[in-house]
Amino acid sequence: MERAETTARLLDVGYRMSLFPNPSGYNNEWESVLSAAGAIEGYKNKYDTIEQKNVEDYLFFDESNPSSVYNCILNARNNALVVRTSFTPESWLAINKTYQEILNLKEQKFTKSDLPNLTEWTIEQVNLFRGSLSSLLRNDGYNFLFLGLFIERADNSARLLDVKYFVLLPKPQYVGGNIDNMQWSILLRSLSSFRAFRWAYDGNITATKIADFLVLNNNCPRSLSFCIQNIVKHLTNLTCSPEKVGRIYNNLKDLNTKIKEEKIETIVEYGLHQFVTQFIRKISSVDNEIHKEFFN
Amino acid sequence: MYQSESVIRNHYNNINDWLDQMTSKVILEKNAEAETHFRNIGITFSTNNETARERIIPFDLIPRIFTYTEWLRLERGVIQRAKALNAFLADIYNQGEIIKANIIPKEIIYKKKSFEPSMFGFSPPRDIYSPIIGIDLVRTGPNDYFVLEDNCRTPSGVSYMLENREIMMRMFPDLFHNNRVTPIDDYPTRLLQTLMSLAPIKCENPEPVCVLLTPGPLNSAYYEHSFLSDQMGIEMVESTDLFVEGKYLYMKTVDGPKRVDVVYRRIDDDFLDPLCFNPQSVIGIPGIMDVYRTGGVNICSAPGAGIADDKAIYIYVPEMIKFYLGEQPILDNVETWNCEKEQELKYVLDNINELVVKEVDGSGGYGMLIGPKSSKSSIDEFKTKLSTNPNGYIAQPLLDLSFSPTLIKNQVEGRRVDLRPFCLIGEQAQLSSGGLTRVAMNEGSFVVNSSQGGGVKDTWVLAE
Repeated sequence: MERAETTARLLDVGYRMSLFPNPSGYNNEWESVLSAAGAIEGYKNKYDTIEQKNVEDYLFFDESNPSSVYNCILNARNNALVVRTSFTPESWLAINKTYQEILNLKEQKFTKSDLPNLTEWTIEQVNLFRGSLSSLLRNDGYNFLFLGLFIERADNSARLLDVKYFVLLPKPQYVGGNIDNMQWSILLRSLSSFRAFRWAYDGNITATKIADFLVLNNNCPRSLSFCIQNIVKHLTNLTCSPEKVGRIYNNLKDLNTKIKEEKIETIVEYGLHQFVTQFIRKISSVDNEIHKEFFN
Repeated sequence: MYQSESVIRNHYNNINDWLDQMTSKVILEKNAEAETHFRNIGITFSTNNETARERIIPFDLIPRIFTYTEWLRLERGVIQRAKALNAFLADIYNQGEIIKANIIPKEIIYKKKSFEPSMFGFSPPRDIYSPIIGIDLVRTGPNDYFVLEDNCRTPSGVSYMLENREIMMRMFPDLFHNNRVTPIDDYPTRLLQTLMSLAPIKCENPEPVCVLLTPGPLNSAYYEHSFLSDQMGIEMVESTDLFVEGKYLYMKTVDGPKRVDVVYRRIDDDFLDPLCFNPQSVIGIPGIMDVYRTGGVNICSAPGAGIADDKAIYIYVPEMIKFYLGEQPILDNVETWNCEKEQELKYVLDNINELVVKEVDGSGGYGMLIGPKSSKSSIDEFKTKLSTNPNGYIAQPLLDLSFSPTLIKNQVEGRRVDLRPFCLIGEQAQLSSGGLTRVAMNEGSFVVNSSQGGGVKDTWVLAE
């Protein structure tokens, strides 16, 4: 569900950007939307040229794209089916209704102007699902669910940062130049943090502030730091197999301390790209470990 | 949209094709969609009648379009005017050169209620009194734009400009693919930069703290206040949230007092400071004027800025442009008779059947007489008013405002429109790439005010 939301938000961003003119005609952000969604290779295998209609279809409905909104919902529903009994009726209903509705939507397909409605619908459904989770028992199942959620989110945020990291390299000037403004707004909007950022920081928008917001700021529910802390929290809340939890935690400890103590200036100087790459690698190894320890 | 009877102006061709394709069913659906969207986000205005449902302004689906070159001229003209108005304010609250030069008689200025004596001898940061100016423009012929009114206090309507665009982009993306429309969504960022560039002299914070001061949820523009502060990421406060201590202004927060550097106020002068303006007022921040005058805070727009948009001062704006900037006005005024002058009053009384008479202090389309459309009794009533209180009125010819195609019951019909673009002046002067187009929805009507059944349209400026 988390990934469905990210994909929907990315689509929304691409849609928005395609409506603004630039000196040579129109903006074409679809390529960067595809790479941010990690779907560029898959797309290119299927289509020769990058066209809005195809991108929309590929990211929303395509069955061959593992990250399409359709597939995310399908998988979420199938997983929920397996653990149906640990869900409350509300949360099952939220996920299953979403699934039934997307089947209908897929049959009807869509015309271009429907995209905003589709993305809005997706985000609404995800919010409904998240809201329903507050009725769950706070047992290990709950902790595993949120471990998955935050691992997914950490990975999504980090990948988006990686695709757009060049936008955040320090530049002296304010946001006045339209290109930067647009690039920044793509990044923030796709992480649903556009308005939130304005609230979190006074004054002018600078690259360093945005990087700080998305990497280190614990008030931002999309930041890498926030995700890590929640992963640690739900991991250490697990009551089963303390020795397995301990092993996984040891692997995470360094990253957790580092992200707590690091200054954004140091990270940018050392290389945001390297930092994010390492982060992604670490998260994925934690993910694998959890699978190996608990679900094999 | 039309050059003459049946020739469509070039830049409207795309729109015309688009209209041809739409069935009346689609139009109805889209109208309903827009209405639902406006209700959901809450862009409504409250009416005095408390039991009535909140109203939304009628939104017309057909955009109004300006070409790049058309806009360039408007942009230069509006910025020129906005600069002159600020120079005028700086002058009359200091040396008064324009009075010494016998261009504007001093009685007109110093006797006005909107003139603020306590501002005398004080200069706000960068000498900017009115950083956000809305200029109301009308078009009467292919390239004939006239200024109908200046709004130097707290012009509203910019939230409609932004939301109208959002809904159009959402409902009709194809239109934006076929027409290169200049984006306007960076307006809040530019507004914030403008406010920050007007920090008071005693502000040491490299990133000045700005707040938006609202009269509260009962105000008809409350949606706009919350919308703008949210978009800028600044606090929206009421006067009870602010207090003065020592030589500074603070806002109350859960974390204790926080110093405020710039107040973007959306309340009238009278309600700013009970110690200074209206002692009867229960709202206001006691002592804020003192902090303001000693450079502890900036108030945008400055108290007393309203004198610049007084309808009696309006007549002199072209002279101001020549006097302060040494330039020829790019945009002309509408011909106006000043009833304070005996000769002009006589002309107005003799020709009242063809004229529009307006109260100097009136707004919102109230308190005006449209000669050609009025009954004999209301004309007589106005004649009496004019004779007893000539100072309170000006008169203008009834302008043949341009028509813009508008959907009325699924048919495209011409309706009269005006335009309010928004000019920002801080470190730099800039104009929004668009504005608020208001449209008189009733057939034959000349009044575009929302309180009188006016609607709004999205306004496009095509990219070069």
